[in-house]
Amino acid sequence: MRDVSVLGIGSTAFGRHAGTPIEALAATAAAQALEDAGVERRELGALYLGNFVSGPLNGQEVLAGMVADRLGLPNIPCTKVEGACASGGIAFRHAMLAIASGQCDAALVVGAETMTHASNAEVTAALNCAMDNRSDGASGLTFPGLFGMAWRLHAARYGTTRRQVSAVVRKNKANGLRNPLAQMGAELTDEVIEQSQMICDPLQLYDCCPVSDGAAALVLVARDRAKGSGRPAVDVLASAQTRGAARIAGHADLCSFEATVSAARRAYEMAGIAPGDVDLVELHDCFSIAEVVDSEDLGLIPRGQGAAWAAEGRTAVGGDIPINPSGGLLAKGHPVGATGVSQIYEAVLQLRGQHPNQVKDAEIALTHNLGGTGVVCTVSVLRRGDAA
Amino acid sequence: MSGAAATTVPALRCAACDVLDPGPRELCPACLRPALAPVELPGEGRLVAWTMIRRAPTRFRAEAPYAVCVVDLEAGVRVTGRLAGATDAQGPGTAVRAVARGEGYSVFEGIPA
Repeated sequence: MRDVSVLGIGSTAFGRHAGTPIEALAATAAAQALEDAGVERRELGALYLGNFVSGPLNGQEVLAGMVADRLGLPNIPCTKVEGACASGGIAFRHAMLAIASGQCDAALVVGAETMTHASNAEVTAALNCAMDNRSDGASGLTFPGLFGMAWRLHAARYGTTRRQVSAVVRKNKANGLRNPLAQMGAELTDEVIEQSQMICDPLQLYDCCPVSDGAAALVLVARDRAKGSGRPAVDVLASAQTRGAARIAGHADLCSFEATVSAARRAYEMAGIAPGDVDLVELHDCFSIAEVVDSEDLGLIPRGQGAAWAAEGRTAVGGDIPINPSGGLLAKGHPVGATGVSQIYEAVLQLRGQHPNQVKDAEIALTHNLGGTGVVCTVSVLRRGDAA
Repeated sequence: MSGAAATTVPALRCAACDVLDPGPRELCPACLRPALAPVELPGEGRLVAWTMIRRAPTRFRAEAPYAVCVVDLEAGVRVTGRLAGATDAQGPGTAVRAVARGEGYSVFEGIPA
């Protein structure tokens, strides 16, 4: 297998893009990434596009081919992949594999979603496509509900408090204020968070990521192609994808996702690193408590201490292990199919030393993208190109 | 709610390899044979966790707020259902029993000590 590098990145702002079609957002991000990479369209051998709910919300599918059409790409295989909220991470991994296996020397990765034009009920119904609707869906469970249960269990088992979890919200919202692409950066107090509307006990409004529009894109190349480019390359050390139980009742523990635990284990092994070698993390904080569970599942923080570390400032930029310096899903936003690609966009900016919320001397970054009720997960490890 | 008659919980048992599954499912997940048959299990179990759904999907809107729970049945199956009369005192491990059945789910309630 050949080594692969990320040579170009592009992203729209996350937030509300009323009236802009999804394929236009995707093409805008992709054109940025191509220009950033200095890669010609004729060099591309594949396009992988991550999207989740364009069918139900836009009545528009075949997005990979449509975006290629907007970009005037050559006659190459263009593939849409879907794994709920992990669609973007899956698209990245497949493009990486296409290059690593020698199928092509350059590939385009795009993630895109538009959601804000739809009503709350339509969005909830569309997102619920990500659960096993014959079992979990029949009870009236929702995604906030799943994480509400995880929180209750975490609190009962480890003594995690509302105030500790609020520290995750405050950190990510504050990080988002420094990120010009973020939808909902804010300087919040514990009081504001804790007086916000109850969504799914104990999850409150500020514990939940917003509904977003947005697109992100990456140009991946064989590492040999990156070397002569004179541009800042970021090396892909690992990209692992796993599956977990499709049903909530299938999880051995509601405070942990087996798909994350196994993807992290494989990614660390592939990259030849230990959790302690990671300088920063962009992980799947669809809810505040999700960041707590994810950080423990990834082996970055001892089991049960995720919220306590946030409260002690150990996950802030400048802390022991900076988590979501971009603002994460909570503050940057969560245009579902774009998220996994956006996480790598943010990680690449960090490893280039160009992030608006820069982690000092960042050399190794990890991204974590989780789909459905833990049915699919991708974990990728990236390294600064000149750091080997 | 308390005082409601206890009831059973529907599940599936494989006629070929005896594996129990909460269902719905067509093939046995253990032996892949299409031999799953309906079975009624005793409704007693332990609460794993619950939450109160205040913003419900469209089809459940009229029922909100309602509590959803995960229960480990004594019969050895984990199921997702509803919890009637949920209180903050009901932590993990609380003894519950099935007292009713909705469309595709069972309703549980705490067993008074």
